[in-house]
Amino acid sequence: MESLILTQFFTGIILGLIYGLMAIGLTMIWSITGLPDFSQGGIYIICGYVTYWSLILLKIPYLLALPIAALVGLSLSVAFERLIYSRLRPSGVLPCLLAAIALFFLLENLAIAFWTPKPKMISVPETEITIDLFGMTTTYHRILILIISITLFVIVHFFVKYTKIGMAIRAVAEDKEVAELMGVDTNKIYIITWAIGGALTAISSALISPLYAVWPGMGTLPLLKALVVVILGGFGSVIGALIGGLILGLVEAFGSVYVSAAYQHGFAFIILLLTLSLRPRGLFGKR
Amino acid sequence: MLKLPREVIIFIIILAILATLPLYVSPYVTFVAAIALLYAMVVAGYDVLLGYTGQLAFCQGAFYGIGAYTSAILTVKYGWSFWQALPVSVLLVALISAAVGYPALRLRGAYFAVTTFYLAHFMYLIFLNEVSLTGGPLGFKGIRPPEPIGPLSFESIESGYFLILVSFVIIYLLLRRLVNTNIGYVLRSIAQDDILAESIGINTAMYKLLAFVISAVIAGYAGVLYAHFFRLLHPTTFSWFLSEMVVIMTLVGGAGSLIGPILGAAIVTFILELLRFAPEIRYISWAIALLAILMFEPRGLIGFIKRLKGR
Amino acid sequence: MQEKGNYIFRVMNLTKSFGKLIAVNDLSFAINEGERAAIIGPNGAGKTTTFNLITGHLKPDKGIVEFYGKNITGLPPHKICRLGIGRTFQIVRYFPDFTVFEHVLVGAISRHGLRAPIDLLKRQVEDAIEKVGLSAKRNTLVRNLTIVDKKRVELATALTLKPKLLLLDELMAGLNPAEVDECVELLKRINEEDKITLIVVEHVMRAVMKLCNHIIVMHYGKKIAEGTPMEIATNKAVIEAYLGEGVPYA
Repeated sequence: MESLILTQFFTGIILGLIYGLMAIGLTMIWSITGLPDFSQGGIYIICGYVTYWSLILLKIPYLLALPIAALVGLSLSVAFERLIYSRLRPSGVLPCLLAAIALFFLLENLAIAFWTPKPKMISVPETEITIDLFGMTTTYHRILILIISITLFVIVHFFVKYTKIGMAIRAVAEDKEVAELMGVDTNKIYIITWAIGGALTAISSALISPLYAVWPGMGTLPLLKALVVVILGGFGSVIGALIGGLILGLVEAFGSVYVSAAYQHGFAFIILLLTLSLRPRGLFGKR
Repeated sequence: MLKLPREVIIFIIILAILATLPLYVSPYVTFVAAIALLYAMVVAGYDVLLGYTGQLAFCQGAFYGIGAYTSAILTVKYGWSFWQALPVSVLLVALISAAVGYPALRLRGAYFAVTTFYLAHFMYLIFLNEVSLTGGPLGFKGIRPPEPIGPLSFESIESGYFLILVSFVIIYLLLRRLVNTNIGYVLRSIAQDDILAESIGINTAMYKLLAFVISAVIAGYAGVLYAHFFRLLHPTTFSWFLSEMVVIMTLVGGAGSLIGPILGAAIVTFILELLRFAPEIRYISWAIALLAILMFEPRGLIGFIKRLKGR
Repeated sequence: MQEKGNYIFRVMNLTKSFGKLIAVNDLSFAINEGERAAIIGPNGAGKTTTFNLITGHLKPDKGIVEFYGKNITGLPPHKICRLGIGRTFQIVRYFPDFTVFEHVLVGAISRHGLRAPIDLLKRQVEDAIEKVGLSAKRNTLVRNLTIVDKKRVELATALTLKPKLLLLDELMAGLNPAEVDECVELLKRINEEDKITLIVVEHVMRAVMKLCNHIIVMHYGKKIAEGTPMEIATNKAVIEAYLGEGVPYA
C-alpha cells in the first residue's frame, strides 16, 4: 500500500505541475484583460501535434522538440492577440471570450480535419527507462517533467517579481490607466503576456503528450482544469497557479483511486463551485 | 409592440411554405428541415438568455441531451409512452437548470461562461461513460416514434416534421409575446447594464434565472423531439460543439432580435448539410464566420440588413 | 441639529473596510423629511462607499441603515429601490441601446408593474422626461447623448420610481456654471414639488451652498463636521481637511 500512496502522490504532483504550467499563462492573461483565453486550449492541441511531428517524423531529440513547440505556441498566441483580441478589446470582454472559444473550436476542428480523430502515440524511448525511486517505479520522463516545470515556475516567478517588464505586467494588471500614465506601453505588455502564455501552454502539451497520446480532443479537459486552477489560485498569481495546480492534481490522483475513477474530472468541477462560492478571489488573488 | 401588418403577412407566407414543404421536396430535405427547426427552437430560446438578458451560457447542448436521453431511457427501458415521458423529461430539465442556475447566475460574465462550459462538458462525459444508462459510445438505439393520437400517426418523416413544425410555431409565438411586452424591456435593460437595472428596482437575479430556465426547458423539449425523430442517440452529438453551434447560430443571425437567430439556425443547418460531403470544411467555416461576425458586424445578419437600410 | 425634528432616514455606526483600508469609519447621521442634505469631503473620504452601503451595493461590516423606522441594512439594491430610495451613480450609468423614452419607460415598468396599462406608463414617462428637459430628444438613442443629457436620463429614470429619498452622486461633475445653476433649480423643484428628500455628494461647492441646508463633512471615512452651510464654511476642521483652500459660502 505504501508505494501506491507514493505513486499516486507523485502522479498527482506531475499532473498538478502540468495544469499549473498552463495556468500561469492563463492567469496572467486573465488578470490583465479579464479574458479566460480559451484559445490556449487550441494551442495546446496544435503543439501536441507539433511535438508529434518533431519526434516521430523529423526525429528531433526531445529536448529540442520542447523549445520548437514553445515557439509555435508563442507565435500562435501572439498572432491571436494582435489580429483578433486587440481589435475586440474595446467592445468588452464578452466579444473576446466568444472569439477565444471560436478559435478553440476552429483549432480543434482543424486538427480533426487534417489529422483525423484517431489518437497518435508518441514515444520517446530514451526517457521511458524506468527507475526505482523511494520504493516506487517511475520513468525518467516524469522526472524530466518535474525538473522542467519547476524550473519554469521559478523562472517565471522571478521574471514577474523582479524584472522591469514583470513589474510592468503587474502594474497593468493592477490598473491599466495608471500604468499607461506612468509610461508603460500596454500593447507591448499584452504581446509579452500572450507570448509567455502560448509558450507555457505549448510546453505543458509537449511534456504530457508522450504520456497520453495526441488527438484532436486533447485540449478540452486540460483547458478546463487550467481555468479551475486559475480561479482556485487567484488571478495574476504565479504561486497561486503552482499551489492550485498541485492541489487539483493531488485531489484528482487520490480521488481517482479512492473515490471514483470514472468521475475524476468531476473533482475539478467541485473545486470550481466551492471556490466560486466560498472564496471567489482564489487563494492568492488580490481583487 | 404593434405588429406591422407587413410582418404578419411575411410570417403567414413563410408558415404556409413550411407547412406544405413535404409536398414538393424529397424526404431527405424534409428531414433536414426538421433538424433545422429543432435548432431554430433551441436558438430562439437561447436568444432570450443571450440576446435579451445578456448572459453568455455554453450549456444548451447539455440540456438538449438531458431531454433526449431522459425521454429515450423512459420510453425504451421503462416502457413509458412518449406522451408520458415528454412532460417528465421537460420537468427534469427545468429542475436541473433551476438548481444549476440559481448559484451559477450570481457569477458575472466570464465566470458564468466558464462554469456553463464546464457543465456542458461534464454532461457529455456522463453521457459517454454511463454506458448502462445511455449506451455510451455505442449509441442508444431503438427509440420509437411518438405513439399515435387517434388517427394521427408519427412514424413517417413527414409526420415527425409536422410535429416539430407545430411545436416550433407555438414556441416562437409564445416567445414573441414574451419579448414584445413589458418584460422584453426589462430583460433588455438587464443585458445593457444589470447594475443599473438592479438599482431601479428590477430583481435581476430572478429574471436571469427565469431566462436561463426558459431557454433550458426549450432546449430540453427540442431534445425530446430529436430523440424520437432521429431515433438514435450518440454522445458526440451533445458535446460542447453543439453548445458552440447554438452560440454561432444566434450571433450569426443577430442576437436580441428573435427572428435573426432563427434565420441563423436555418442557414447554418442547411449549409452544414450541403457540406456533408466535405466534412473538414463544415465546422471550420462556421468558426471563421463567427470570428468575422465578431470583428465586422457583431449584430449579425439582422444588423447587416439594418445597416443596409441605414439604421 | 439632527435629532430634532422627525428624521426619516439615518445611519448609525456604519463601518466598512477593504482589507487594511477603513473606507467608512463609524459614520452616523440622520436626515429629516424634506431636507436637502449634502455629504462633502476630499477625494477618497468614503462618500461614494457610504452611498453604496445605503443602497445595498455593499454590505457594511458594522452599523445599521434605517429608513422610516425600518432596518434596511444589507438589503439587495432592487429591494432598497422598492422601499423608496433612488440613486444616481458617480460615473453615469445608462442603457445605451434604448431611446430616451424607452430608457425611462423601464423605470416606469419597474414602478407600476409588468401589466401596467400603456397609457399610464406613457404619461409617467412623459412627465419625467419633461421635468428634466429632454422632451425634444425623447427618440434619441441614449448612447448618442452628451454626458449632461445622459445624466438627465439617469435622473428621469430614477424619478419614475417615485422615490421618497434620492441619493445623487456627483451629479454636477463636468457641468459648466450655467448648467450647475440649472441643475440646482431642478433639484430644488424636485425637492419642493415632488416632496423628495435629497442627499447629494458633491464637489461643486457653489451648488452645495445654494442648494443644501444640511451638510455632512467626511474625511478619511469619518464624519468631521455637520451643520448648516454657514457653520461648515467657518469650521476649522473642515478648512484644514481641504488644505486651507477654504469653503466659499454662496
